[in-house]
Amino acid sequence: MTSHAICIQTRMAVWDLSVSVEELGPEAPPLKISVTSDLHIGGVILKTVEKSQIKQDWSDHALWWEQKQQWLLKPSWTLDKCGIHADARLCLTPQHKPLQLVMPSSIVLRMRVCFSSPVFRTIMGICKLLNIRRPEELSLLWPVEEKKKKKDKDVGEEVYDITCAPLPSTGTIPKLANGMPAFFAETPETEVVYKILAVSQPAPAPETIAKLYRTTNIMEKAHINSRWLDSSRSLLQQGVKENDKLILRFKYYTFHDIIPQADVVRLTQLYEQSRWAILLEEIECTEEEMMVFAALQYHIGKVSLTEQSVASCPAMEDLDSALQCLEVKMEGESSADDMLETMTAPELHDYLKIFRPKRLTLKGYKQYWFTFKDTTISYYKSKEESSKEPIQQMNLKGCEVAPDVSVAGQKFCIRLLIPGPEGMNEVYLRCEHEQQYSRWMAACRLASKGKTLADSSFSSEVQSIQSFLAMQKTTPRNNTAQTDESINTHSLVSPRYQKKYKPKQLTPRILEAYQNVAQLSLTDAIQKFLQIWQALPDFGLSYIVVRFKGCRKDEVLGIANNRLIRIDLSVGDVVKTWRYNTMRQWNVNWDIKQVAIEFDGNVNIAFSCVTANCKIVHEYIGGYIFMSTRCREQSDTLNEELFHKLTGGHEAL
Amino acid sequence: MDDIDAMFSDMLQEMDLLTQSLGEEAESAPLPKPPTIPGPQEMNFSVGFTDFNASLHDLEDNDLDALMADLVADISATEEKFATEKDTLKGSAPVAPIPSQPPSNLSFPGSSSTLRQATSSNSIAATPPPPTSKPSKEELEEQIKADKIKLALEKLKEAKVKKLVVKVEIMDGSSKTLMVDERQTVRDVIDNLFEKTHCDCNVDWSVCETNPDLQTERGFEDHENLVEPLSTWTRDTENKVIIKKKKDKYEVFRNPQNFYMWKKDKKSLKDMKEKDKEQLLEENFCGASVIVPDLEGILYLKEDGKKSWKQRYFLLRASGLYYSPKGKTKASRDLVCLVQFDNVNVYYCKEYRIKYKAPTDHCFILKHSQIQKESQYIRYLCCDDEWTMTLWVTGIRIAKYGKQLYDNYKAAVRKAAGSATWASRSIQASSSASTPSPTPKVRAANGHAPQPAVETKGSSNQTSFPPPPASMETLPPPPPDPMLPPPPPAPPSTNKVNQFPPPPQFPQSSFPPPPMDDLPPPPPPPPEDSELPPDFLPPPPPIFSSCGGEALPPPPPDPIASLPPPPALQNFASAGGAPPPPPPPPPPPAPAPAASKPAGSVRKVAPPPPKRTTPQLAAPSGGDLMSELMTAMQKKRTQ
Repeated sequence: MTSHAICIQTRMAVWDLSVSVEELGPEAPPLKISVTSDLHIGGVILKTVEKSQIKQDWSDHALWWEQKQQWLLKPSWTLDKCGIHADARLCLTPQHKPLQLVMPSSIVLRMRVCFSSPVFRTIMGICKLLNIRRPEELSLLWPVEEKKKKKDKDVGEEVYDITCAPLPSTGTIPKLANGMPAFFAETPETEVVYKILAVSQPAPAPETIAKLYRTTNIMEKAHINSRWLDSSRSLLQQGVKENDKLILRFKYYTFHDIIPQADVVRLTQLYEQSRWAILLEEIECTEEEMMVFAALQYHIGKVSLTEQSVASCPAMEDLDSALQCLEVKMEGESSADDMLETMTAPELHDYLKIFRPKRLTLKGYKQYWFTFKDTTISYYKSKEESSKEPIQQMNLKGCEVAPDVSVAGQKFCIRLLIPGPEGMNEVYLRCEHEQQYSRWMAACRLASKGKTLADSSFSSEVQSIQSFLAMQKTTPRNNTAQTDESINTHSLVSPRYQKKYKPKQLTPRILEAYQNVAQLSLTDAIQKFLQIWQALPDFGLSYIVVRFKGCRKDEVLGIANNRLIRIDLSVGDVVKTWRYNTMRQWNVNWDIKQVAIEFDGNVNIAFSCVTANCKIVHEYIGGYIFMSTRCREQSDTLNEELFHKLTGGHEAL
Repeated sequence: MDDIDAMFSDMLQEMDLLTQSLGEEAESAPLPKPPTIPGPQEMNFSVGFTDFNASLHDLEDNDLDALMADLVADISATEEKFATEKDTLKGSAPVAPIPSQPPSNLSFPGSSSTLRQATSSNSIAATPPPPTSKPSKEELEEQIKADKIKLALEKLKEAKVKKLVVKVEIMDGSSKTLMVDERQTVRDVIDNLFEKTHCDCNVDWSVCETNPDLQTERGFEDHENLVEPLSTWTRDTENKVIIKKKKDKYEVFRNPQNFYMWKKDKKSLKDMKEKDKEQLLEENFCGASVIVPDLEGILYLKEDGKKSWKQRYFLLRASGLYYSPKGKTKASRDLVCLVQFDNVNVYYCKEYRIKYKAPTDHCFILKHSQIQKESQYIRYLCCDDEWTMTLWVTGIRIAKYGKQLYDNYKAAVRKAAGSATWASRSIQASSSASTPSPTPKVRAANGHAPQPAVETKGSSNQTSFPPPPASMETLPPPPPDPMLPPPPPAPPSTNKVNQFPPPPQFPQSSFPPPPMDDLPPPPPPPPEDSELPPDFLPPPPPIFSSCGGEALPPPPPDPIASLPPPPALQNFASAGGAPPPPPPPPPPPAPAPAASKPAGSVRKVAPPPPKRTTPQLAAPSGGDLMSELMTAMQKKRTQ
């Protein structure tokens, strides 16, 4: 009777809802709690918690509806409103779970991320914790399934665990301590992790590069883009499980508002991503460009190493001061001899050998007394005659300087191409030993840029030549701990060039490119690297294999930040380009999985996506449009709503 | 104070140059020249003439006038300087007249305010507010000593600045000769030429070098230094510097679509909206790195050392010019780099069909700027048509200079916009100095519009109007006439001298009458003025402002007041060695009449004579340019 009365009172039947609680273990049977249809979600959680009899902080928990693959995140909604009946299987689970995150630098972090919010917001949380600004440029993707190699690789991979980090509450600005988010400064371990994120990684062993998965053609590149997660749905909805491994990458190649001081991690990770893109030939470049990239990598690696040791002083607030430290340090390190040389006499003199290759003459090297003053080399028959008129004077301003060196063969030549009215004069100078060579080489390089020996960069130039020479001494097989002196030039170039050239051949070429970058600071070098990367013709193109309406063969759609391009798969040529600013609208027909775009002048295109979901294409286009809106509003707040509007698709509306 | 220092150093540098070129003259004149003037390596030679003598003959009258004006200015500056120093050294009577300057001003009297005070103090008593605290003698002396040391140091520094006398040909066959300072950019030089020629300041004006041996022409970029490339010319070069309108100079910024969307039909791009053009520029020039137009296509390449031209498929990348070898794909990895742009420049070529049997006449070459003759180190390329050539040359320039080009363009546009309000004159019309045309408008274009008085420079004639530095520029030789002669009507008081030394010093300044801070803004101030770099001392505009101040007298009405002559006269006098008594003089008689005339009609006052004189003088005595000029000067003086 009483039960009847209650029924009347509530006008609803009481029924059992099965809720499994993760904390009880996977084998434990789901808890049965009796509910009525007008019980709201918050009430369900409360009852479940009571019944589980576990005392802990439940604030991060939420209900997950397994069959529908959806979160029940609105505590005030009733079961009825949610459409939950007795057959529903719910699960009370934390919203934040640990995840293995592969950073662009291929460092693996284990951290707790939000599994319940849309991926877009999850990434905002991740980036906030890691102190990466502009999270909208990044996204998550599934790793490539590794095949057999997996066994031996997985063992050695180090995972940096930062699951102890506080959950980022969106909206607050992370406090900084010692130039890093306060959380990282708390323990030495986490501080190390931050350093790893903020400082570029040493060059990988050439074997590592060769072993890694590389895309060899445009089809494979297109397949990578099928692995992006959907920004508008949660991780759990997309089948990501606790401790799964996901890759964090810059997805939209439009890097807004980079501030070197505030973007240490962002810049470093961006650099790492571009570096790997080049090493793994994800983006193609010419040999000349590869050498510049190699030189920059070498330089960045070298400067970062020095900086790391400096960075241990806690007073360092930002990169700038670190760089200052670095400069001081480098100056202090230069050998006293060099210092004396530069201080007392801004002039070099020595017996060197000279050789001028001329057609039809095969004269060898001849020894003279050489002096180097300002930007000019003069030579005399002997030291005694140096007060007389020189045999010849050569002003090196604007000349080309190339090394012709073999440490093993004890050959230290400088090849000079000196421009004159009649053409370029080719001159070889042969030095006796490394010390002499590095000083004369440094002088020649400075002179070619119009600087004199008195220039402050002379000693560091000498040093960098010496350290570069040291690279030749080490055997290329040595792939143990990479220290400054033992970098293998093979680890600076992609496998194609590893195969094409021996390290011995590569060194002079990289050295040649290196002379133009050797004086850059760390940030400048990184930015230079990014600039050259961004100037590559194929930069910023994400490929998707599509089939255009009315066509019978697959083609490739390239999506960039300002345009779409259509590429003929067989030839690889760009057939057509459409720019976003002429785009009127784009629509996705989710039923037939077709994207239709209308451009100015009644140009209509439609295609279905072969390698990727329509949503991915849709999100790319919408995403880039979103990115282009950022410039105008200078505020730092992210317009999440607009992003979802532009990228969300039908579920979002 | 910094400004003053800068001005001062520039002044000194002028003087140094002068002293060096003066030779004996200079030595006889007791110049405050530090014994340790360094490099004999700093040079002062003219470009565009086979030798100085010839160059002198080549010079047109007005060129000579201009040059002469420069020199006179230098000399008077030097002399005055000397006078100043001498006087102050003597520690003679610091009976500072009304506007006594703070001591620091003593030897750098350059600021416009000072000048103005000076001018006005002639007629009126105490306009200037400056503190009247008279420095004690000791202080003064100390200050002077310090200044002298500074001066010596500055001179050491400045002595190294290289200058060239450059003759710039104008398309109508006439030419202008000007001195170019090592630190001046091409933009500065163009602005100077605008000043001298009253032209329309169109953004297309371009200073080019031509090389008859190679039959090439290259427009210098606005940010380049002119002296550097010119210094690498050989002694006997036939190369020329010309100024002309080159439509392709900035075409890429007017119609970026033609370059960045070159694959599309040009007609369809014709009506592109301005907004879209801007966006294109924004995308390609304002990002983290400049995007180079994705040019590719078949060009002819002259084979090394052979006469034949081979077709190759070329691609332009930011890192260089590449071609894809036979049988290979266009993939980046297979490309062969023909040349990278760090060390080379791109030149248009003429008539290579005849010279090198090129397939067409639309050729360009890439070479190191120092190479002046045919060489295996030059890359010769040939295009099917002119537009293709423009496309590639522009693309290469973008790859080489990047954003700098865009900045140059924006600066040029600003400049042109500033001058647009002024009647555009064809360069020819204004270039010949003898044209008596100058209407007020022309003068305006000249940057001197506001000037009520005679000082419209630009043409030769106001002889009767002596010292105003402004006029000196163009009408050099005559002025000395009135200047030197009779012991000044009003011998300057020593401190007077101190206060006014500058005016005559920098007559060149007359072109760039820029930032006259406290001068009543000239009615229609051509905005470009402010940007105008001084003729050959770019950094310190203030100096000019001072001179400018003098040249463009603030209140037009009173001719006497506006006349700056007195100081000049005094200085000359003192330089002459007569340490004159002090009374701060009223305007000297000589200039006064001249002044009154000019107020009314400008040109007619003082016409032709001066022009003739110099050349005549120059021709007979076969010395080098400088010494000839000097003799001319001397003659003038002794008259």
